Amino acid sequence: MLVQDYMTKHPLMGRLTMSISEVQHYMADNDLRHLPVVGDGKRLLGLVTRQSLLVEPVRLRSLDVWEISRYLTTESIDVVMIPADDVITIKGDATIEDAARTMVRNRVGCLPVVEDGIVVGIITETDLLAQLAEIMACSADIPAVRATVQMPNRTGNLAKMVQAIAAQDWGILALGGAVNRDDPAVWDAVVKIDNVTKDAVREVLGEVEGHRVTDLREA
Amino acid sequence: MAQNRWVADDSHRVQTPILEAKNLAVSYEIRDGQVNAVRDVSFKIHRGETLGLVGESGCGKSTVAFSIVRFLGKNGRITGGSIRFQGQELQDLSEREVRSLRGDQMAMVYQDPFQSLNPCMRIGDQLCEVLQEHRGLSDREASVRAIQMLDAVYMPDSAAVMRRFPHQLSGGQQQRVVIAMALLNNPALLIMDEPTTALDVTVEAVVLDLVDELRRRLDTGVLYITHDLGVISRVADRIGVMYAGEMVEVASAVDTFIRPMHPYTEGLMRCVPKLGLSKESSSLYPIRGRVPAPTALPPGCVFEPRCDYARRRCREKHPELRSVEREHLVRCHRAEEIRETEWRPSDETILDLQERLRSRSEDGSKVLEVSDLRTYYDQESKGILSLFGLGEKRQVKAVDGVSFEVGAGTTLGVVGESGCGKSTLARTIIGLESSRDGKIDFLGFDATLPLSRRDKRLIKDLQMVFQNPDSTLNPSFPVGYQIARPLRRFGKVDRARIGDEVVRLLNRVKLDGSYYDRLPRQLSGGEKQRVGIARAFATNPRLVLCDEPVSSLDVSVQAAVLNLLMEIQQEHNSPLLLIAHDLSVVRFFSDAIMVMYLGKACEIGPAEAVYAPPYHPYTEALLSAVPTADPRVEQKRIRLSGSVPSALNPPTGCRFHTRCGRKVGTICETEEPPEIGFGDQHRIYCHLPLEELEAMDAVITA
Ligand SMILES: Nc1ncnc2c1ncn2[C@@H]1O[C@H](COP(=O)(O)OP(=O)(O)OP(=O)(O)O)[C@@H](O)[C@H]1O
Ligand code: SF4
Ligand code: SF4
Ligand SMILES: [Mg+2]
Repeated sequence: MLVQDYMTKHPLMGRLTMSISEVQHYMADNDLRHLPVVGDGKRLLGLVTRQSLLVEPVRLRSLDVWEISRYLTTESIDVVMIPADDVITIKGDATIEDAARTMVRNRVGCLPVVEDGIVVGIITETDLLAQLAEIMACSADIPAVRATVQMPNRTGNLAKMVQAIAAQDWGILALGGAVNRDDPAVWDAVVKIDNVTKDAVREVLGEVEGHRVTDLREA
Repeated sequence: MAQNRWVADDSHRVQTPILEAKNLAVSYEIRDGQVNAVRDVSFKIHRGETLGLVGESGCGKSTVAFSIVRFLGKNGRITGGSIRFQGQELQDLSEREVRSLRGDQMAMVYQDPFQSLNPCMRIGDQLCEVLQEHRGLSDREASVRAIQMLDAVYMPDSAAVMRRFPHQLSGGQQQRVVIAMALLNNPALLIMDEPTTALDVTVEAVVLDLVDELRRRLDTGVLYITHDLGVISRVADRIGVMYAGEMVEVASAVDTFIRPMHPYTEGLMRCVPKLGLSKESSSLYPIRGRVPAPTALPPGCVFEPRCDYARRRCREKHPELRSVEREHLVRCHRAEEIRETEWRPSDETILDLQERLRSRSEDGSKVLEVSDLRTYYDQESKGILSLFGLGEKRQVKAVDGVSFEVGAGTTLGVVGESGCGKSTLARTIIGLESSRDGKIDFLGFDATLPLSRRDKRLIKDLQMVFQNPDSTLNPSFPVGYQIARPLRRFGKVDRARIGDEVVRLLNRVKLDGSYYDRLPRQLSGGEKQRVGIARAFATNPRLVLCDEPVSSLDVSVQAAVLNLLMEIQQEHNSPLLLIAHDLSVVRFFSDAIMVMYLGKACEIGPAEAVYAPPYHPYTEALLSAVPTADPRVEQKRIRLSGSVPSALNPPTGCRFHTRCGRKVGTICETEEPPEIGFGDQHRIYCHLPLEELEAMDAVITA
């Protein structure tokens, strides 16, 4: 689960010769929120985002309608793009959790994936959310039972749960977990199992020593 | 393959296609006007998707490709419609901007690798140049990346290949270099125009696998152009069928093959011999007529003059490309009605093979008997010593101990990769090469004699149809004269009646008397080949050798020529020796088949026996490599590495041991394989134990 497996390869990209209004149209027509700007050989020169496209209000106030439209059609993309040096990027062989952390820390919604200065892809919040959905087997459309199990935050507990499931010959569609928000001694695990009934899952998982099923639903 | 539980969903990504052509029109200026080579062509290619573009020669496939990369030449230009690459209109871009896209974001691979490779530059330098031009990498960085890319296309020993010149690589390796070069900058779009046409089936299979794997791994959009339906069924996700400059059908690969809706697509499907079908059940139905010139298009539907379903409306109104079903576009007024009605071949094309086969006489007598035939070519070594006459003489053992026979009224097919000695075999029998050893008995004549010393009757009774009709027709004499020559020479008919006889022969190959006075250059490829056939059969020969008689022709023309050849063979009841690299063509035609490898036969027997297990390991690999024009057919995947070793220095023991996947052990390297008989004249030359041979699975299952 590396960035290069989940990024969008061959992203749409802008060129320096585009005017601001061309960029606006290009992004709107293709439903883009981020546009890497590249030079020859796909070298990263900058990034246009919906925010960076907004003309600063101060500037706006000083221009009349005609000037605004002239500004948009004659000024090139480089006055609205974030220059390459300031763009936060990531490498293809980083993990997707690295990508998520980088986005959260820097409060950005998109990372151009860059190797040796060359853009090889782009990964966005949406890609990561889609990936989360996939990790939790959302797009599978397979009827399954989803259980949340609280267990001691100690090694070996997740294994116990998995063994209990394996002993029944059930298939795990998805598995995830995180430390409990309120009690660091507790681990919340989420598991999705197909071809079973809720009751059967409640019984089997509830019997594991020290584990408690806190939520059970069909999903 | 195991059923996947689910596949990843990509619906959250950008939905803009990599390439989208809309109502594209392209014209060439010529001296007396304008050729509208491409009209109203629309298609999309998404990331990670291969669109196959098929159609007969001259339908405008390459023109579409060139218009995308803006390589139309001085006289060509886009006259209408749009081409969007990554959502940007390419026509809005300046020449400079297009140049920076080319080779970087879009790349093209041509039929002939030499078109893309510089013969005087080392492979490594050529690859690095591409990287440096667009990315300005240092020499070190560029060469590291180039080697990685060669590894990615499975080039053996890539570091060494970097130092070689193009001519020091085999055709398959050259094409792999070209593909590596095209992919160096990780383009979003890869255009391939007949990239495997010049390659052997076994090499072609490897290249096709490679294209498919790279597309999936790199998410590249691929436009794959070919006239070969077998190839397209192997690589394409969707297929666009072009006819006379228009797109006539666009659908998924499976739909195109299983439920074609346009009469032209249906017709193409009926033209290709299908592997797996027995000779008895396979009939080829050529599409009558031919593609109209772009300057003389019919007013309504462009396919109307050749269409068996045409109605008045078709002549009056030009049909639009319209969506008939989800994701299935067809340009035909009658697409919906046609699907229900059962197609019947028109009288013109009807050809009942079964009937003709039943009438065939096989009295068991032999026409040709070849035993232990050897033909060697001397090759001077190119070293400096040879200047002084001291260089060692080396020998290419092109045919090295081959034995077989051809019975009256039957066809023997000979298959094998290029360089296996097939053509040399035919040329030796006809007397164009002299044999070193062995016997050729043709109806009691000794056919090892050179042409100059042959009996006149032998020459008359043994005729040949060549691969390339151009090289055997004299360009400065009219066609009729050239057919009349053998008639005159062998005095088969009265001088006074020669003219009539030539016209009869022309009619026999479905050309009318008006062709009598035409010069070869006024004929199409298929017509020239018909003349070649008429000439070969003019003297009523007792055996006709055909060396790749249809490989240079379009599928629809191929079908017509093959049918014709079969009809004439039937009429004369004359046996054929048919050489072809296309295993489906051979299957369609032959009663018996010989598989050759490096000058030797590895398997010989009745066609049904050779195409079914037990196989010689080489036959097995050939069958697994041949592209079948039917996506439903299951084919075992066996890939041979490398190409045929040099005949100058063939491997010892079994010559196939360097590439054999079933090699038994050192015995294969040291000892000539024995003959194993399977009854009914089926023989395999191999060290494999009988039990293992008999336990082989079928390669192709329907
Ligand atoms: N430079 C040119 N000048 C004039 N006419 C041309 C030129 N190039 C191609 N044509 C014509 O345009 C039409 C389409 O040719 P094109 O080469 O695109 O066909 P194709 O489908 O690629 O054929 P093939 O399968 O033989 O490669 C043909 O009628 C051809 O003669
Ligand atoms: S429109 Fe008419 S002539 Fe053209 S392909 Fe359809 S049926 Fe045939
Ligand atoms: S003799 Fe050995 S190397 Fe040759 S085909 Fe048979 S198994 Fe393969
Ligand atoms: Mg072409």
